[in-house]
Amino acid sequence: MDYSKQIQDIAAKLFAEGKIDVFVGYRMNGFDDNQVPVVINDPKEVPALVFTEKSVFNLSNYLKADHTRNKRVGLVVKGCDSRSLNLLLTESQVKRDNLYIIGIACEGVVDEKGQKMQNCIECIVPDAVVYDEMLGSPRGKKDYIVNADIAGLAVKGLVERREYFEEIFDNCIRCNACRHSCPLCYCAKCCIDQETATIYNGSNTASSAFHALMTWSLHLAGRCVDCRNCEKACPSHLPRIFCINRTRR
Amino acid sequence: MSFSTFVTDKDGLQKLYEAIISKHETYAPVEKFGKYDYKKVSSLKECDPDSPIAMTMSVKPLFFPRASKIMKYEATSAGTSIHETGQDQLSGPRVILGVKHCDARGLQVLEAVNKWDYIDSDFLNRRANTVIFSKRCDKADTQCFCTSLDYDLENLDALDVAVVSGPGGKVYLQARTEKGENFLKENLGKESAAGSQQALDEMKKQYEAFAASFRLKMDYKDVNEKMSKRFDSTAYEEATRNCVSCNTCAFICPTCHCFKISDEKIKDTGVRYKSYDSCNNVYFTLEAGGHNPRPAKYRRWRQRSMHKFVYYKERFGVNLCVGCGHCAISCPVNISIFEVVNHVAAAPMEV
Repeated sequence: MDYSKQIQDIAAKLFAEGKIDVFVGYRMNGFDDNQVPVVINDPKEVPALVFTEKSVFNLSNYLKADHTRNKRVGLVVKGCDSRSLNLLLTESQVKRDNLYIIGIACEGVVDEKGQKMQNCIECIVPDAVVYDEMLGSPRGKKDYIVNADIAGLAVKGLVERREYFEEIFDNCIRCNACRHSCPLCYCAKCCIDQETATIYNGSNTASSAFHALMTWSLHLAGRCVDCRNCEKACPSHLPRIFCINRTRR
Repeated sequence: MSFSTFVTDKDGLQKLYEAIISKHETYAPVEKFGKYDYKKVSSLKECDPDSPIAMTMSVKPLFFPRASKIMKYEATSAGTSIHETGQDQLSGPRVILGVKHCDARGLQVLEAVNKWDYIDSDFLNRRANTVIFSKRCDKADTQCFCTSLDYDLENLDALDVAVVSGPGGKVYLQARTEKGENFLKENLGKESAAGSQQALDEMKKQYEAFAASFRLKMDYKDVNEKMSKRFDSTAYEEATRNCVSCNTCAFICPTCHCFKISDEKIKDTGVRYKSYDSCNNVYFTLEAGGHNPRPAKYRRWRQRSMHKFVYYKERFGVNLCVGCGHCAISCPVNISIFEVVNHVAAAPMEV
């Protein structure tokens, strides 16, 4: 899965025709084969754009940033990214007319060790659901696979489930990377930001983590599109933050 | 004053660790969800003092906890009363195993600000009562640049005992402070003979091999000087455009020390906490009247980089950044402070 050339061509064309102000894509990080997201507003930077199976981060997250607000944006979306983008469109957070979306028929991305991401194994809609241009041949819908952790958690008793979550809250450092990496968390002020926290305290304790993560996941339950940007962003490698969302089914 | 060097082997080191854990209050990296964090341990089996640096959290929370109690209070219609929070759990005599050199240096750097206008006795007590065992890395990780900064990594005295691996499974233990010297003499068995000149040579060789393995290298003096002249550089905006302002870098940094005060209150009684805060946070400089002096992302990044490489250096004479690379490893979008400061330093001067 390497669409670097096509994406560069499309981006260059869009800039040349004056259709976009900003392009959001990926570039190599410059020392190994991992990539970083990049927001470019200069056509000169277009040749740095790449897209391979290492393009992990969900770019629709950048649509809530200052750099792209009220601008015409071109961006690359995989299946999961396009689902979150679709939700942003549904909730009137971005204007469809302002976007030029390059959809990818995604074959799944890999982590730093080269292993396929768990959410890609479980992904049921790998093709972009909203796009102006599709790269790759569409793969169609796949069958729903129940995540082993969620299935295991669902049959556990209340006490065991509480222990499972308490372990997560104990290891949470309350940095809010999950909230800021979530493309659906577009609220300018969030009740789990420590400074605006009113219904619970903003301190860095396990009880605060409990309130924050639970409130956060309740707000996302039913909206979560399973891109797992939160999990990839978590510095404590807390497993399955999304799991809290999913267990509510 | 010169300190002793002892030689032992891997088994001897294991035995020493086991003896320490059984006799003293010991903290060491414990794996949870694939990430190591320093926790109190009761046996060597549950921890890994050789944990890889990329997967290990900083040791800072043992000195500056993520949330520490300042006071307890009771506020009723009859009035307000304030109570002590009780004994500080972290201030007793203790040993920490498996600290990284950069983390230990972070504590040393932090001492300057904690001894400054307000003396943080909690932090200083915790540090005075702690013996730090630190293993020198054998190989640099992709984001490490500790050798490029303004401290002598080879003879670092921020730690009490340095553990250095030698050829043929040998392990050298070198005291770096008086505390470490006394501790080693008390706890070492007869099997650990005192090291000779050969030991020092082999340690030097290990350091040279380690120093040669770095991917990232820079001239910190050049960066300090150039950054101080490029406050208005547009390079900050270019280098940090993809930042998502998530605060992770500050929360896992071994030297970031900004905090906020918040209350955890249930009905009439409450606890006041001091918890981490981050200058990358939008709310960090938000004033009560609604004005925010640092509303844009690049300005917050400028503050962060300038604090690490310019302001702290001007005030205390040392760089605040210790080159551990934790921020770059944990960043969701892989922004490295090394790249940012070098990008700024290489930018043309604004007229």
